[in-house]
Amino acid sequence: MVAHSGSARVVRAAGRLNAPRAAVVEARVDGTPVRVNRLAVEVVREEWRVVDRWWTEEPVSRRYFEVVLQSGENAVVFRDEEKACWFTQRGA
Amino acid sequence: MIACLLIPGFELRAALRKQPGLALRPAALSPVAGTEPVLGPVTAEAERLGVRPGMRLGEGLATCPELVLVEQDPAAAEQAWEEILRALEDTGFAVDPAAVGCVYFETRGVERLYGGLEPALRRALTAVGTAWDPRAGAAQRRFAALAAANVARPGQILVVSDERLRDFLAPLPLELVPMEPRRRAELHELGVKRVGQLAGLPGSAVAERLGPDGRRAWGLARGGKAARVRGRRPPAEIVEALQFPEAIANELTLRRAFGALVETLLARPERKGRFVRKLALSARLVGGGSWRRSATLRDPTTELDRIKAALGPKLAELPAPVLELRLELVELTEHDGQQLELLPTAGGELNVRLREGLRQVRASTGSGSVNQVVEVAPWSRIPEARALFVPRDD
Repeated sequence: MVAHSGSARVVRAAGRLNAPRAAVVEARVDGTPVRVNRLAVEVVREEWRVVDRWWTEEPVSRRYFEVVLQSGENAVVFRDEEKACWFTQRGA
Repeated sequence: MIACLLIPGFELRAALRKQPGLALRPAALSPVAGTEPVLGPVTAEAERLGVRPGMRLGEGLATCPELVLVEQDPAAAEQAWEEILRALEDTGFAVDPAAVGCVYFETRGVERLYGGLEPALRRALTAVGTAWDPRAGAAQRRFAALAAANVARPGQILVVSDERLRDFLAPLPLELVPMEPRRRAELHELGVKRVGQLAGLPGSAVAERLGPDGRRAWGLARGGKAARVRGRRPPAEIVEALQFPEAIANELTLRRAFGALVETLLARPERKGRFVRKLALSARLVGGGSWRRSATLRDPTTELDRIKAALGPKLAELPAPVLELRLELVELTEHDGQQLELLPTAGGELNVRLREGLRQVRASTGSGSVNQVVEVAPWSRIPEARALFVPRDD
């Protein structure tokens, strides 16, 4: 009989770095955040929009805010206009 | 006896496993992008409608407008073929694969085990399975066994003795003899269309007119040499694969992912310090196809840079974005001795320390805690699309 060396297959899944995380955000009527994860927003430092991949089945339309929280922490949050949800994100 | 087990159109059959409904329709294996646009193997229905393997794509579609082109899936074919070889090895045959769909083995060792030549070959056909329509031929010579397997019907065994070898080969078409298409065309022009006609010519005249290739074909037409069949060394089968969350087309990213795969694979304990002689890189492509390239290293090595240099440039040949990249060590050396370096390479010491540090982190925090960041599209406006993290458990 012919002996097999035995097989050893390993499949690893690469993950996304800086994937968005769901956040609890209270916002004003104009859409600017007032509280992020129950912490009050002291300053909105910057605001920008990202609209991309509109030609695909998974378009991206986000309104980003860079804010300073009550705790002194810097955070980036965005509202996903497609899903109508808020997320925090690093690396933005 | 030397036996040949043949599965005609293996690549097409392997590709059709994903879409079995096409097996009963006129279908053909599409040509590889960048090569001559000729059809690969075709289904029985396509053949009935006049489509032939090797026909030009345009001609095939003109002959049969409803012809379905099946995308090549070399990785699936290679995997299915490896499963078949292992099934044969499990049955006791020391196989010598010639190409995908064609394998030789010596029956002498197993004839007593199964009670004769025909029961042994029957056993081989059963091991492969009826779904593949295998056929077997046996003879004292390799080429004669191949010719017999070509003539046999699916599931049939054809044994050709040395005494009736010349009579058996004589009426067979010249296409059975491997030779350059130019030489075959030349012979056709001279009216030589059967194996027997070629075998009947004087050897020196064939050599003078057709050169060494023609002389080799002439030798085969007369039965070929009675060369021994050597069983292959079973592949090492140490495989590492990386799945991407979305299709990747960027060559730089693929090279980085490939680098991470090489490092992880070389660190696998199953390698047991042996050197890499042959390795294969394959990819699952977006849209369902696959791609595969292999490289045999001139000097077996475990040097990362040499392995990267051997297979890395092949990533530029990828025809479509990649969903999964897979690297396998196909063949390893037996020895694990290594010539020590007189002077350590620059950074070598730091590299060792870093690896040891990472090993300790992994030991304390568990698998999946150490990752390598691979940039995918650093220019992207979507932050999570810029980079991936690849687990490193080496």
